[in-house]
Amino acid sequence: MITAPPEPRLRPGPATPRRARGRSRQNLAGYVFLSPWLLGLMLITAVPMLLSLYLSFTDYDVLSPLSEVEWVGWDNYRRMFTDDPSYWHAVSVTVTFALVAVPLKLLAALGVALLLNRAFRAVGLFRGLFYLPSLLGGSVALAIVWVSMFNRDGAFNSLLGFFGVEGQPWVSDPRYALETLMLLAIWQFGAPMVIFLAGLKQVPAELYEAASVDGAGPARQFWHITVPMLSPVIFFNLVLETINGFQGFTAAFVLSNGEGGPVDSTLMYTLNLYINGFVKLDMGYASAMAWVFLIAIGLITAVLFRTGRFWVHYNDEGNG
Amino acid sequence: MPRARKLLTAVLTLPLLLGATACGGDGDSAGAGEKVELSFFWWGGQTRADMTEKALNLYTSKHPDVTFKKTWQANQGYFDKLATLTAGGDPPDIFQIDDNYLSEYAERKVTLDLTPYQSDKRLDTSKFPEPLWKYGVVDGKLAGMAFGENTQGLVYDKTLLDKFELPAPTMGMSWEDYIAWATTVSKTAKVPGTQDPSADFKAFWVWLRQKDKDLYHGKELGFTEADVTEWFTLWQGARAAGATPTPDVIHEGNVTDITKQLVATGKAATSWVWVNQMPELKKNVKGELGVTAYPGKTGSQWPRASMFFSVFRGSEHRDTAVDVLNFLANDPEAGRILGTERGLPSNLDIREQVADTTDNPAMKQSIAVQDEIGKTFGAAPSVPPAGHSVVKNELIKSAEQVVYGRQDPATAAKAFVTAATSAIGKG
Repeated sequence: MITAPPEPRLRPGPATPRRARGRSRQNLAGYVFLSPWLLGLMLITAVPMLLSLYLSFTDYDVLSPLSEVEWVGWDNYRRMFTDDPSYWHAVSVTVTFALVAVPLKLLAALGVALLLNRAFRAVGLFRGLFYLPSLLGGSVALAIVWVSMFNRDGAFNSLLGFFGVEGQPWVSDPRYALETLMLLAIWQFGAPMVIFLAGLKQVPAELYEAASVDGAGPARQFWHITVPMLSPVIFFNLVLETINGFQGFTAAFVLSNGEGGPVDSTLMYTLNLYINGFVKLDMGYASAMAWVFLIAIGLITAVLFRTGRFWVHYNDEGNG
Repeated sequence: MPRARKLLTAVLTLPLLLGATACGGDGDSAGAGEKVELSFFWWGGQTRADMTEKALNLYTSKHPDVTFKKTWQANQGYFDKLATLTAGGDPPDIFQIDDNYLSEYAERKVTLDLTPYQSDKRLDTSKFPEPLWKYGVVDGKLAGMAFGENTQGLVYDKTLLDKFELPAPTMGMSWEDYIAWATTVSKTAKVPGTQDPSADFKAFWVWLRQKDKDLYHGKELGFTEADVTEWFTLWQGARAAGATPTPDVIHEGNVTDITKQLVATGKAATSWVWVNQMPELKKNVKGELGVTAYPGKTGSQWPRASMFFSVFRGSEHRDTAVDVLNFLANDPEAGRILGTERGLPSNLDIREQVADTTDNPAMKQSIAVQDEIGKTFGAAPSVPPAGHSVVKNELIKSAEQVVYGRQDPATAAKAFVTAATSAIGKG
């Protein structure tokens, strides 16, 4: 593009400064309106983030004053990758959790959304009921209830006993503890479900009519109309739930008394980070873990966006 | 995406904010002299809270210018909060601490050195047994005032044993005899005879001392991989014999929460506790409880400071804070209020007075049992080095690997020794 010659700037015309001043005043007003958010961002997020980036290169131990920390360079990062088996164990627990829980949660959300996307009596009530667990989201109370439902003499085993099946101490057994947590995450499918419902409402009915006229059955309609039309919403939910899935903390903390047990079976990444920072008082190391985590989630999200090009269809792109 | 950071930030700042707002309250009504408000932080249950508040109110009634901002909570999360308060530069003036973290806080210079106060009697420990106050010495400095003496106690469900006419465990019975006894209990009463203590550092510690080893020698481990293997193998045998509950129940009992001890939940006939925990434990049990020493030859247990009170080095009112400690430990009236809930009173005169006057049956029992075990006390070890809390957790982890059958004793022992060595090496 060819820009105008810079002469006007050299000539201090009366109009330019006034316009500039007007614009800067406008900007100022904008910043003033933004200030609650900006201040929050700076004080609550940006400053601590930068501080933690700095701490991740130190041996900060929480109790000593910040002025006494020692710079240790890349030591914390080196230790994480080469000298801490529990770190890699936590990574594998977290990845397993996300790989299983996230797709199943999305499938559950989509399935129920499809069922609820039709007119029948009390549909609003059902939508509300299915959404309810998500409202309780990361709550500690819910995790406590979950634990008592799935321990040896919990409600779930009573139910199994009713059918003559012998139960297991699900939450206290390293073979099933993580699965119990996955189930809790999946059960909270309400939030993506509501978004799916909204997406389904946007699909023009003519498409289905046209497809029926052409003789397409429900399965074909689903794969060739619903899925492509819904793909931006699926993508949105996938990104959001993946990020959420990797950050699971509350339930694992409650289930294991903050220790990630039994025998590290629920040692999620964030829980391991907490243990290193607050129990072992190795906050420098914990900060380094947080930064690796941030970068890893960033990369995973970037990869999702990349693949999204191949399967996400936006209406406004015409041919999609 | 920066949610992990936000979470951490929130965790870091929230207690500070709450602490700051809470500071605004209290201390009204102007009076003569300088008004002092001391923050006082402890962990414990409701019983302890009632007693502590009463004792502190007594101090205020004698020194109207001194008031307290009292904060207490359950043991779980206590040290997280203490650490965040310290990191924020605003730890309580006086806080309760135990041997898990005393070295950690003392080495990082959070605690005030009480030695000068001790030498000019502003903090009078002359009536304390010497090993007891010495347990609070870290690197030559008195980092905490021992508040209460206790020792390991094997607590059993007396009602259950009586019902099946089973004998109670006795002092000095060997570990093998004890396991055999527990096996009989399991078979007769249909309740597992004993919680499996393989993950319990205090049982492991007693067992080590019976072999003339120790948990620590200064800042090094006092045992070898072979010792740990032997310990794990001992309990593997007990589990195979049916003396213990199933792994998931053992896991449930491996928490510090006193209300979840298996003897309290009725899932085992015996649990491994500290003697001073009897009053709190009693509150959670309908039947009668008995308590005795841990198995093995006597003379291996020692008088341990159940906890300490420390003063923050940066406190603006250190002298007053130390005076409060002196009052809590040495004032007869305060001693009567606090009883043995934190352990037998450190001051021997007060201890005698409490023993003579208390009408709390659980406290009476603690005193009687501890007197009995006390006759055989061996020398006290020095306070565990920094990293002890990590060593405790690592023992639980490795022991449970064996309990769940995921590792053999030797493999788990190797992992534990490696992790424990690195944990205290950093201190």
